[in-house]
Amino acid sequence: MSAVDPVTLEVIRNALSAIAEEMTGVVMRSARSPLLREAGDLSSALTDADGNLISQGRDIPMHMGVMSFTVKEFLKRIPKEQLQPGDVWFLNLPEVGGNHLPDVKAIRPIFVNDEILAFSVSLAHWADTGGAVPGSYVPFATDAWMEGLRISPLRVFTAQGTDREKLEMILSNVRSSDEREGDIMAQMAATRSADLRFQELCEEHSAEVVTNAIIALHNRAEAQMRAALKELPDGVYKGEDFLDDDGSPGCQPIAIRVTVKVSGDAATFDFSASDDAAIGPINTTPFIAGASVFYVVKALLGPDIQPNGGCYRPLTVITRPGSVLEPPLSSPVVGGNHETSQRIADAVFLALESAVPDQLTAGGPTTSGLLLFGGEREDGAWTTLYETHGGGEGARAHRDGASVIRVHMSNVMNTPAEVIEAEYPLRVETQRLREGSGGKGAHQGGEGLHREYRILTDKLSLTTMFERRVIPPYGLKGGENGAPFSVHIQKADGESFEMPGKANRWLKRNDLVIVDTCGGGGYGEAE
Amino acid sequence: MRWQIGIDIGGTFTDVIAMQPATGLLRTAKVSSRTDDPLAALLNALDAVDVPWTEVQDLMHGTTMVTNAIVENNLSKVALVATEGFGDTVAIGRQNRRYLYRLDLPAKADPTVHESLRFEVRERMDHKGQVLVEMSEQSVTELVEAIRTAGADSIAVSLLHSYANGSHEKQLGEQLKTITANVSLSHQVSPEAREYERTNTTVLNAGVMPMVRDYLDRLEEAKPSDSQLHLFHSAGGMASPSALRDQPLGLAMSGPAAGVTAASRVAAELKLDHALSFDMGGTTTDTCLITNGHAEIRSDRSLAEHPIRQPMVAVDAIGAGGGSIAWMDTGTLRVGPKSAGAFPGPACYGRGGTEATVSDANLVLGYLDHSQPLGGFLQLDRDAAVQALLPLANAMVISVEAVAHGILRVATANMVRALRKVTVERGVDGRHCALIAYGGAGPMHAVEVSRAFGISKIVVPASSSMFSALGCVSASMSYSRQQTVRMASGQWNTEQLSTTRDSLISQLSAPIIEAGHDDKPLTIKEVAGVRYSGQSYAVEIQNPALDDPQALGLAFREVHEQLYGFSTDEPWELATLRTTVSLPRTEHLTNADQDRDAAPAKPHSSNLCYFDGQSVMTPRYSRDELVTNQTISGPAIVEDESSTIVIIPKSTLTVDPSGHLVIDIAEDK
Repeated sequence: MSAVDPVTLEVIRNALSAIAEEMTGVVMRSARSPLLREAGDLSSALTDADGNLISQGRDIPMHMGVMSFTVKEFLKRIPKEQLQPGDVWFLNLPEVGGNHLPDVKAIRPIFVNDEILAFSVSLAHWADTGGAVPGSYVPFATDAWMEGLRISPLRVFTAQGTDREKLEMILSNVRSSDEREGDIMAQMAATRSADLRFQELCEEHSAEVVTNAIIALHNRAEAQMRAALKELPDGVYKGEDFLDDDGSPGCQPIAIRVTVKVSGDAATFDFSASDDAAIGPINTTPFIAGASVFYVVKALLGPDIQPNGGCYRPLTVITRPGSVLEPPLSSPVVGGNHETSQRIADAVFLALESAVPDQLTAGGPTTSGLLLFGGEREDGAWTTLYETHGGGEGARAHRDGASVIRVHMSNVMNTPAEVIEAEYPLRVETQRLREGSGGKGAHQGGEGLHREYRILTDKLSLTTMFERRVIPPYGLKGGENGAPFSVHIQKADGESFEMPGKANRWLKRNDLVIVDTCGGGGYGEAE
Repeated sequence: MRWQIGIDIGGTFTDVIAMQPATGLLRTAKVSSRTDDPLAALLNALDAVDVPWTEVQDLMHGTTMVTNAIVENNLSKVALVATEGFGDTVAIGRQNRRYLYRLDLPAKADPTVHESLRFEVRERMDHKGQVLVEMSEQSVTELVEAIRTAGADSIAVSLLHSYANGSHEKQLGEQLKTITANVSLSHQVSPEAREYERTNTTVLNAGVMPMVRDYLDRLEEAKPSDSQLHLFHSAGGMASPSALRDQPLGLAMSGPAAGVTAASRVAAELKLDHALSFDMGGTTTDTCLITNGHAEIRSDRSLAEHPIRQPMVAVDAIGAGGGSIAWMDTGTLRVGPKSAGAFPGPACYGRGGTEATVSDANLVLGYLDHSQPLGGFLQLDRDAAVQALLPLANAMVISVEAVAHGILRVATANMVRALRKVTVERGVDGRHCALIAYGGAGPMHAVEVSRAFGISKIVVPASSSMFSALGCVSASMSYSRQQTVRMASGQWNTEQLSTTRDSLISQLSAPIIEAGHDDKPLTIKEVAGVRYSGQSYAVEIQNPALDDPQALGLAFREVHEQLYGFSTDEPWELATLRTTVSLPRTEHLTNADQDRDAAPAKPHSSNLCYFDGQSVMTPRYSRDELVTNQTISGPAIVEDESSTIVIIPKSTLTVDPSGHLVIDIAEDK
């Protein structure tokens, strides 16, 4: 291959990023559900012909793993010879480079001169993928099939148009099918815009130059990652952290353990010593383990490294079949995506504590703090509020932690009280900082959130999916732990009880849901 | 013979345009800004065009004063009053962090109000404006005493759901005025749902209020009594000083809004369906989408990470400008985001800058003229530019000219990527837009950016180098506000709606009538934000049929279909109403000085310029010598006192009768 000059390389790098960014714009503008259009719970990517990530539209750390593995795993099931120009394939199987059923991927092969040169991938969180409860978060799921519709790679669009039979099959298995159809169309449109733009890029620079530039960009990211890893002292580092439970009766904390081997400009992250697969839905996939490892390495060593296939090369991630990070295919996984991914990040951070002195943040709200309220409005419509709750950030060697914030693998916003009250049968009685919840230390952990919801309807379903209730955010270097996460229910009839971290309950009018999110860990001994 | 004056006070320069409508005389000047004393800058500007204030009929003025105060966090001490249980809303925010991967940097900006100045009052409304908890007189008295003891220069009041019922805020405001006259009520500053955004907007309004009121007092004192004074506000119109005393945050985007407004007028005049404004400065490039002569106005924009829920022109800033620094990054040549800024500035400014910038590349390629001082006073140093580029040339083993060309290609690629994002997010194919280029560096890069993006038409408007001042002098007096309504299609209440509309119109008309224009008909423009029940984003319907929900529903579905490719018969709701009241202006901006029979201008000199790696002898023209309908084929350079227009090969410039330069790019793909 001939070398691409530094200017052309930068011009093509920008253009490739612009293609993925445009995909994100297309989905957000044309998707139907608020989860995509307002919260932006979606990702877009371009990969090369072998599925190596080239560029992505928006950085959602959690989706990184998915974007880097989906096409590779897809190609293991669907060989390239079966692919045609104009195809758009949909899938959500966790084992095919995935994470959980609600994150559905659309994949399109991009042909230039009768040869596949790239794939465009649009990932979108569908507000519902069927299953036992609205919103498809089933806290009591004990197998994969209870979690909803499982889509193995399915060619829903071809050059001839929409394959209605397959589309109807999907739509008849999910709630609010009109909304889903809009989302599917938006994903398809995004992959198509990437196809057109990639063709234009190849016309402008020639397919050969573009292909060579992609190879050069992979090599460049690899070089950046190797340079960053060299900064780490060689050695073997161990770290562990624990999930509270999996929601099943009597479940004990579940260990995530990692052994990091740093040798020169490469590193291995071995999670084999983690606990066996769980009964409840906090299992996750090796792809999420990869995403979490990549996030930690990038945050600690190279925030500016462009995420693409090349930067993964020096990193080896090992998971053990049968463990919570590589469970049997029959295991439920819906919560693992945003709970276990955070715990993997915690374990890797803690392992590297001695390798990167003074660069670690104490424990924070490494949980989505998710509450799903499903209820009937005054006008009879059924609505679901999908609300995540941030907590106090951990302190660092040189600063206090921030109060009420999302950390690491996700960054989803809250819903304002004024919107909640207008749209859902709920009243927010108060929202304030949870004073005293941050761990004390030379630097103080951030404060958590205290928010109270009053139920204003006769019957409402509440699902919880959160962590750090049993095992609080850790302090570092003698700093205190943050206060743990808790959700209490105060019934209108006077009874009150604490809600488990993964559960579903029916509530009645005037019941009060009291959320106290975790505080951040302190850093250093308090004076 | 009285004058109309437009003055734009920027961070570095103050631009002034003086027009005498009776004679058609037009004078322009550029003077240095004085951030310590804006009034002095204004007086200097009047001196520079030789117009005494006593001969000014209307003085229209844009300023970056409020923008800078917010960006530099130079705000007054503000006390905040919130509903009991919600005092911490400014600290909670929307719970998202600023940087995904930067653990070392603070994850959140400090709250705009310190804990010790956050007060709560027992009261409660619901989202329909019904009182759930009355506000007792005693609690108000206690609150006033507590704030008096704490001490504050300005007070912000933001109660839950006050956009639906502002009575409690008004009641509080009356009492709080016994502490200070600087009181901001959220239902007046930003009558929209979302407590964090409304509260923060109100706090910012309170934070700039003492400064703006002080400046307005000094202006009023200095101005002759029969001269009118207007300031340019963020939504692209003029506002009176008395209105801005209560709504000083309306100046948040004053400067960029003036330029975009002038661009909108040019787009309307030339009947451009879609245009992008392109204002390139030292560190950033501002762009805004203009559709059918109207700049996009939105109420969900931010400034320096602060959400501001007030109507503002939707300007996007791209992190690339003339001072952006080029550097090698693991095998790629990158440009920005670091900038040499105004000081030391590019290496060629000779003020100690040593790193290669976009401006240095322009000089090396021959586009900028090192034989003439830039802007009349800055002698450019070509050797310094070459020295700055040399390390890059050595690293890449190519010539200095090739590096310069590379820097421009990369800067162009950055801008094209940003323009694509700005247009695609709005559902517009950017390649069908015209580019309206102005500001110091906009015209220099416009042609190259357009070619790379696929745009075929560029307009460098008349007076492009002082375009914001032009925007000021040509704007109409207008006020606008967006209000949350939330009326479901199935529960339409025309009477309630007309009360809301009338109240908005009378509030917005008041300052125009107060300014002595009670005799002229006012233009009222309404924009409805409509959405399907349960959706969060509203679609904007221009001139909505608010008396006829059937017709409005039809219009909504049509626009939804157009924007998103589908629509359904589901129930919908009127989420917001934005009303603009304006006093139309009729004067046209034409330069009466032009001699229409003059012979086409000849180039005053020529020099070697590099285009796509080829060096070509390129003629240079003075813009003020060009005549109407003259055409110039590229390669060529056209200069005015503070900007340079580069016409690349295969593109053609034409001077239109209004003095706008229209450049067409031949398709050569």
